[in-house]
Amino acid sequence: MEQSVPAHHSRSVKPPRHRGLWAKRLAPYLLSLPAGLWLALLFLVPLFLMLSETLKSCSPASGVCTMTWNWGELPHTVNLYRTQFITSLLFALFATVIDLVISFPIAYWIAFYGGRRKNFFLIMLLVPFFVSFVIRTLVWEFILSDNGFLFSFLHHHHLVPAGFHVLGTSVAVVAGLAYNYLPFTALPLYVAIERIDHRVLDAAHDLYANRRVAFMKVILPLTIPGIFAAFLLTFIPAFGDYINQEILGGTSNTMIGTVIQNSFLVNADYPAGSSLSVVLLAISLIGIFAYARVLGSRTIEEYL
Amino acid sequence: MTERDNSEGVIDPSFWRGLTQPRVTRRQALGLAGAGAASAMLLGADAGLAGAALPNAKVGTKAWWAKQKLHYQLNFANWPYYIDVLKGHHPSLDHFTKTTHIKVNYSEVIQDNPSFYQKIRPSLAAGQSTGYDIVVMTNNSVQLGYLIELGWLIPLDRAKMTNFNKYAGPLIKNPSWDPGNKYTMAWQSGWTAVGYNSHMVKNPGTSIELLFDKKYKGKVGMFNDPIELGHAGLLAVGVEPATSTERDWAKAAKKLQLQKSDGIVAAYYDQSYIQHLKNGDIAISQCYSGDIFQADLNSKYKNLVMMLPHEGAMLWTDNMCIPLYAQNPLDAMTAMDYFYSPLTQSVVEYYNDYICPVPSAKQQLLHPTGWNKAALAALKPEIGLPTTVTANSSTVFPTPARIATSKSYYTFKSQAEIDAWNNLFLPIIQGA
Repeated sequence: MEQSVPAHHSRSVKPPRHRGLWAKRLAPYLLSLPAGLWLALLFLVPLFLMLSETLKSCSPASGVCTMTWNWGELPHTVNLYRTQFITSLLFALFATVIDLVISFPIAYWIAFYGGRRKNFFLIMLLVPFFVSFVIRTLVWEFILSDNGFLFSFLHHHHLVPAGFHVLGTSVAVVAGLAYNYLPFTALPLYVAIERIDHRVLDAAHDLYANRRVAFMKVILPLTIPGIFAAFLLTFIPAFGDYINQEILGGTSNTMIGTVIQNSFLVNADYPAGSSLSVVLLAISLIGIFAYARVLGSRTIEEYL
Repeated sequence: MTERDNSEGVIDPSFWRGLTQPRVTRRQALGLAGAGAASAMLLGADAGLAGAALPNAKVGTKAWWAKQKLHYQLNFANWPYYIDVLKGHHPSLDHFTKTTHIKVNYSEVIQDNPSFYQKIRPSLAAGQSTGYDIVVMTNNSVQLGYLIELGWLIPLDRAKMTNFNKYAGPLIKNPSWDPGNKYTMAWQSGWTAVGYNSHMVKNPGTSIELLFDKKYKGKVGMFNDPIELGHAGLLAVGVEPATSTERDWAKAAKKLQLQKSDGIVAAYYDQSYIQHLKNGDIAISQCYSGDIFQADLNSKYKNLVMMLPHEGAMLWTDNMCIPLYAQNPLDAMTAMDYFYSPLTQSVVEYYNDYICPVPSAKQQLLHPTGWNKAALAALKPEIGLPTTVTANSSTVFPTPARIATSKSYYTFKSQAEIDAWNNLFLPIIQGA
């Protein structure tokens, strides 16, 4: 150990100053190269390809696409499906907020009071999600169906007004989204809360903070990064989701994911589908950047 | 949060049209639409393709068929609930395998024409087998037209159509969508009618207006196929679909848009509508004739009733065809003709209850003469009604008069017309 330290020290001093400056400048970029390549290859290139697809004209019969530089397709399609974008945005937002409200107490309780059984409780939280996404949603359709056991019972005992139904309404879609994306909210929150040193709470109490104040001024600010991560991890997939709407939704709450799915797989309208996908991605990205700015994002150098 | 108010969603259909117009002009500007005006070509955008030799030019000739051999296997893609079922087996297919030694892999993968076409299209475009030797496409769909015009079907072997030539009924022999049965043989025909739950609907009447009745707000199912949806609209506004114009389509779309914004429509369904009708999620729905008949045979769903509206019911035919690059074409040909034996058809129809392509199957249902005797007897406890009910049903063996009062679908004359239709009816199905 003691021998290696001077060796290391001498090596870092030896190189000429000039070269050291360059290396220092380049280091952050070189270090971020793998991530940068990853981002370029799996995000920017596909995004660019999708964007170029929006400029083409495709035959619905043969599926042959020719580049026609049709700049009008994107604004035209987006305008046509504006309402569905807004619907998706609202649904995803509602579902995310519901998830945050539900999972915060759960994560808090497991992190602070789970004791030795923390892992057990976490598994309990996750077990339902080991079943496939689509199957879980289909079972909800079965449960919520108008003549299913739940609603037959409620109607039979006049516990709900006649004609009351959930399947096909916006409530069903938002509930489905909230249910399906719950772990994406609960886990980051748990990680953030788990990291909090319990002694800071003791310190807060020593300084005459009651429980509410301690929570608002100590716990909540410390979990902000977790809330941020949970929000993004839930909101973004929920925004583009189409399974929940397709299975639980009705005619008046079509989400943009459904329209995109139909454009690609049923109508073979690739330019329209690509246009909507690009805009969906763009909105998500703008959201992320805006949120990161507000919460104070860090630049590459700051991290290094 | 409750259902969103849709009153602002009612947009004049011409608005949608106006917005989508550039698609057509773009194509025209490219000079790709030339074929559209001259002939009844659907493929305006693929004129370049159509000008060259079709990919099936050298396939399906007499010489080509002579070279084909049986592979004793067959991949058959069909719609759900469309063939006799007994304890997880299909007696008609079992008998086929027993007599011909051709093993059949029967899969019920077709839920609607457009999405199934999108599943097989990439393989066909790449010159590869779709994995199916027989696919079943509806005559009213533009997709069957696409398959024929792009040369993506194998012309049938004339020498292997003995049963067909002998027993096929006039309704499906030499049909308008495939003159001379060059590419297709009908699987079954049927009506798109109105189905309802008689417990929930007391005075249904005889009009298609039942689908638009505000009394059943949120309890009406419509089809998510723009062709089916649009034609229901055309019948409701009192237009003869086969001779309708774009102006009529706009009127129909307006009516359907209103039906939706008034909250009458529960959802736009594919084949799954029948489950929702059985569950009572909906009280009334557009329906296929055989589905209701089948459900009705089951004592549990006695309350499901089919109504052929007095405005007319749309008559369609599903057609078996052999996609290009199919690996077992001769096996496919053998199976297709097998289904035209009155014996086979009696077994299929006893379960199916659509319009039978073989009229003489009626006699076989009343007095079976061969292997079908045992098969029908075995099916009986499952179906629970005597074969005479199927044999004497006016929706299985309809009179020519009944056929004559049914309505035909509109035949599209160009891709521009298809676009115009879709631009009117698709936004209703997938709009907010």
